[in-house]
Amino acid sequence: MGATFVVTLREAFEAALLLGIVYAYLERVGARTEYRWVTLGGVLGLVASVAAGVAVSFLSGPLLDLGPDLVAAAVIFVAVALITWHGWWMRQHARALKGDVYRRLDEARATQRLWIVGLVAFTGVFREGAETVLFLWGLMSQTTIGGWGGVTGGVLGVATAAVLGWAIFRGGRQLSLPRFFGVTSVLLLVVAAGLFSTGIGKLIGLGFIPAADPLWDTSWLLRDDSVVGGFLSGLTGYRARPTAPEVIGYVGYLVGAGLLFFTPRTPRAETPDREAARPSAGVLS
Amino acid sequence: MTRRVTAAIFMVLAAVMTATAVRAAEPKEIPITIENNRFSPEEIKVKAGEPFVLVVTNKDKAPEEFESKDLRIEKVVPAGKTMKIRVRALKPGTYPFVGEYHEKTAKGRIIAE
Repeated sequence: MGATFVVTLREAFEAALLLGIVYAYLERVGARTEYRWVTLGGVLGLVASVAAGVAVSFLSGPLLDLGPDLVAAAVIFVAVALITWHGWWMRQHARALKGDVYRRLDEARATQRLWIVGLVAFTGVFREGAETVLFLWGLMSQTTIGGWGGVTGGVLGVATAAVLGWAIFRGGRQLSLPRFFGVTSVLLLVVAAGLFSTGIGKLIGLGFIPAADPLWDTSWLLRDDSVVGGFLSGLTGYRARPTAPEVIGYVGYLVGAGLLFFTPRTPRAETPDREAARPSAGVLS
Repeated sequence: MTRRVTAAIFMVLAAVMTATAVRAAEPKEIPITIENNRFSPEEIKVKAGEPFVLVVTNKDKAPEEFESKDLRIEKVVPAGKTMKIRVRALKPGTYPFVGEYHEKTAKGRIIAE
């Protein structure tokens, strides 16, 4: 039971974290009515996960040998792009705090772009969703080996992840608004950097990026397959033996997206003309 | 924004497909079986410097995920299915792998020499 608990908790943790953050974000900017986009994204992510699990189980042939890997790699990079966008957008609102978040949100709502927040939820759930579905499915079809204890553990793992997501949501409500934006920006930055280097690792594994020797080896300190290593890998992209492309990607993303998330207001945005700082004047166009 | 995301997805897919097309043909295939949540054989010897294909057959009634952290490979092998996993040319060394869904029993290693 303990083993299956750890597996599903590890798989579902990232999705729970992202859902907790985007729900909390909508709550904090007074857009509760837009929860539905996140809920819809999450539910569709779950549906897509089940569909992918079924497809993998019943399809066959060459499509199956490479297809799921390509989808997995694409989902990772799309997730990175969406999280980056969300972090950037959140920053625009954080900058506008002295002014009028609510008016800005109205503008965003008017332009109907909050549904993109739902996409963050979708990719977050879908990324590890198919794996989790297949794992639980396997447990249930193989109760003679795992026993119902294994199934219970697996379900409890997902439930615990959901509770963690809920805790993040509740915790987000306790923080002051600037601190909330700060903390979640850092979280998103680290998760996305980890995802980005995981994506590069996947491309290395598939042979699309030339393999390189590991730059260092910290497996004596923390192994990838240990429980803590697994969680750290999900949260921050930790690898005991990272290669140069992964490290460069990780650091490059941290610096690039970090600048995007945390640079002080540009002179342009500080002009009395508030229109210049409007979210829709930037990435949203 | 949506358009840019879509464009980015297509660019990634195009790059990936091109890379697939130009890859060398027909590396050596090495069979490996999963039964009772164990790999057989558990030790695979390969020539260093030559890419190869693991042909993984899952004889169990539950899916298994072939995973090697070192090789950056994660691949679900559904119950009763055979999947091909391409592995890049390896430097001499030992590369452990596990069945992630049954990590306690499903363990093995690839030895490149």
